[in-house]
Amino acid sequence: MSGFKRDRQGNAKKFDGPKPAPKPKSIVRNACTPLFEHLRDELDEHHDRRDRIGKASRDITALSKKIIFSLQRVRKIDDELPQEIQADIDLRLAEIAKLLASIAPEVQNINRLRYARSLVCLEELVEALTFAHYVKTQTLIDHDELSRIVEDLARQGAASEDVAMPDASEDAAQKPSQAAELPTVSITDDDYLYGVFDLTGEMMRFATTASALTGKMASGDSAAADDAPRTIVEDMHDLGSFFEMLPLRSGNRVAWEKKLEVMRQSVHKVEKLGYDRVVRGSERPAGWVPDLSSTDQPEGLE
Amino acid sequence: MAPPMIDPALFDQLKTKIEEDTSVRKELDQIIDELNQHVAYTQGVLSRIHSTPRSKYPVLLGQVEEGIKKEVATVGKLSEFASKYPYYKYNYKWTRMIQDAISTVLLCAWLGGMGSESQPGEVCRLLTLDDIGALFSVPINLKDRDAFHITVEEYLLGLINIIDELSRLAMNSVTLGDNELAVQISSFIKDLHAGFQVLNLKNDILRKRVDSIKYAVKKVEDVVYDLSLRNLIPAKAASE
Repeated sequence: MSGFKRDRQGNAKKFDGPKPAPKPKSIVRNACTPLFEHLRDELDEHHDRRDRIGKASRDITALSKKIIFSLQRVRKIDDELPQEIQADIDLRLAEIAKLLASIAPEVQNINRLRYARSLVCLEELVEALTFAHYVKTQTLIDHDELSRIVEDLARQGAASEDVAMPDASEDAAQKPSQAAELPTVSITDDDYLYGVFDLTGEMMRFATTASALTGKMASGDSAAADDAPRTIVEDMHDLGSFFEMLPLRSGNRVAWEKKLEVMRQSVHKVEKLGYDRVVRGSERPAGWVPDLSSTDQPEGLE
Repeated sequence: MAPPMIDPALFDQLKTKIEEDTSVRKELDQIIDELNQHVAYTQGVLSRIHSTPRSKYPVLLGQVEEGIKKEVATVGKLSEFASKYPYYKYNYKWTRMIQDAISTVLLCAWLGGMGSESQPGEVCRLLTLDDIGALFSVPINLKDRDAFHITVEEYLLGLINIIDELSRLAMNSVTLGDNELAVQISSFIKDLHAGFQVLNLKNDILRKRVDSIKYAVKKVEDVVYDLSLRNLIPAKAASE
């Protein structure tokens, strides 16, 4: 208490109100200010974290899309992807791994779902990974296996970060790097389901280009000993029925139904392809290539 | 034989999860509905402050506190059930209702209710987030574990709710001849307005609601202006 305020007459003012009478114009301090300052710090922490996650998320989305584009250059379902495509994908996955590792400490426990909306990249990543798995094995990877892959990615990313720049790690939380104890990013049911929804679109594109360019319906290796290997048409039907049979999600009905509708269209398109192959495909001589590829296949080939 | 496209176990696993999710939502809906009824009743009782002179507040606030007790009980039920599941998965379902419940408590306390033996109620008392958490006996602003709690945003949005109500009360209190209350409300709302300026807001719902506070400030300032113009501001309030 250095002194008291005086009024115009020079008498000491009684100072019992919540705020000083002559208000300074710039920062008004009052009884509420400390309360709000505390809450501001809490909100800032939240906003900053959301921004960091959002940035990483955008990068992961972009990288996942690039993986998908690379995979769309594959023409057949085979265990071994063409070398340059595999190399390309590995490169992108390594980058994704680093990004995942950087946000992993931020999305533990309660924060995982708090920032679920900023983590839409995971849907895209699921799409890329399920598609890669399909192109290699012609099966749908299940949720648990996929989660393991993503968790491994996050751990790898953290490990490589440590080797590359041992003292530049941004998060103090990363320093005690007990390999197995490293925080990872988990894949929720929604990430998985919505990612698989998008997978149907990619399969449709894959089926279309593959059948146009190779003149065959994409299918498993004929070495699988079955007389007629399963084609992508059947797989699409399987996926279609899979989603139709699942109960309606009560969470976000609109989004779910929209995805369902898009998926149905993809199924119909592939169906049409299958029909074309059966009806017209048999009329075409082997090696006949449709118009789509006429640029790289001269007419005279027939 | 090549493996099938989709492992049948995967379908069953996902189907079970979705069904569980649906039944959790149904149960939550019931609890939230119950909370809704208590909050609506309490808000209804509180709306009578606009026609009640200050001398009759104790009786009115007693009724409000009855309603709040029921709110607290239902929030306890919600907390117990919701803590079994990831908080942010279902938070959006009840957050509005919790904000409204917080508002009723904040307003009741500001008007002089919610007193305890250690701290008697008085007009102009602003409960903090910690007070609110203690009152509802639920955690606040949880970060280290995943359970039901009241968030910073919910508290702030609840606080903004009462600003509108108080700016209305400023007018009505003048009608009831209680000019001092109008002046008190004015100074409180201006304090809060300054307080909200301290926050760094993002373009979200909180920002939108905070932007609306200035209209309440204008409304109460107009009331105080009308009073001062006619020399109707009581001496005690004027010295504040």
